Amino acid sequence: MSFSLKDRHDVELAALAAAGGRREFGELVRRHGSAVRGLLRRMGAEGSVADDIAQDAFIQAFQRCTEFRGDGTFASWIKRIAARLYIKRRAKDARYVDEAAAADESAPGVDHAGRLDLDEALKTLSEPERLCVSLCHGAGLSHPEIATALNLPLGTVKSHVKRGLDKLRARLQPEPAQSLGGKQHVG
Amino acid sequence: MSADEFDPEIERLFSKSPPLADAQLFAADVESRLASSGRVRALALSFAGLVGGILAVRQTMNVNLNLAGEDGPVAGRALGQGLNAATATVQASVQSGLDQIGMSGLGLGAMSSLQLFWLTAGGLIALAAAGVVRLSQEA
Repeated sequence: MSFSLKDRHDVELAALAAAGGRREFGELVRRHGSAVRGLLRRMGAEGSVADDIAQDAFIQAFQRCTEFRGDGTFASWIKRIAARLYIKRRAKDARYVDEAAAADESAPGVDHAGRLDLDEALKTLSEPERLCVSLCHGAGLSHPEIATALNLPLGTVKSHVKRGLDKLRARLQPEPAQSLGGKQHVG
Repeated sequence: MSADEFDPEIERLFSKSPPLADAQLFAADVESRLASSGRVRALALSFAGLVGGILAVRQTMNVNLNLAGEDGPVAGRALGQGLNAATATVQASVQSGLDQIGMSGLGLGAMSSLQLFWLTAGGLIALAAAGVVRLSQEA
């Protein structure tokens, strides 16, 4: 019985890729490419930069495929690689997180259809907050890992994450009127 | 939504990523980069193998076995004569091969095999050092 690539599990495809299977790895790229590119954009990377880093991350993942043992998901593994590459790129470009970019406070957290729009809400965060929240909740890095990667004190990372989450909470939490479908009961 | 419920909700939002329109193009780009890096690696390995093979053959041709001499044992003499004949044959075919690919005029013959070996080894070490430097810059 033969399976097509689409039927195979990520772990299986990664094992075949580790043995040099480029076609199998291509299937993994098709499955997770958008998620990795999306995460990098959420971390603050511009579109083309995000795509370059995502490509580098996949190339690196192919070369290090033997290190993936399936303890976690392939998606989280490749996201961590991409996140670390992005941090290195930022450090190389000498644009450290301490130089906070102006946040777009006017960005809405809810789109026209009333859905929670994380991408828009993230724009309201300062650059360090956005990066720390994305690394923590998007790439799955722990606070100490973020502190090491960004060369920041652990306490600073924790406060960036907390402040970032507070802002997201305020932005994304539906207003009571919205949660009731826009109806307002006047006593 | 309470604050306690919010973190899993954020993670759920992060885990949802809409597929991008050019996802197939992106995957094709990655696959073509993998293919080209594979070709470069195959070429480099082939070249290294070729250089190593040529050096090994040249080194073998210069081995001076005295087994064929009068002092050697009978079996040794037979083996030595066979080896000398094989060496002569290999030497002739390698020389004709080198002539055909235009390497006979490169002056390699003026160098001893040991010199050639160290020259190539030095080149490979320099290449490896350059690779390590590049890796350390990327890391």
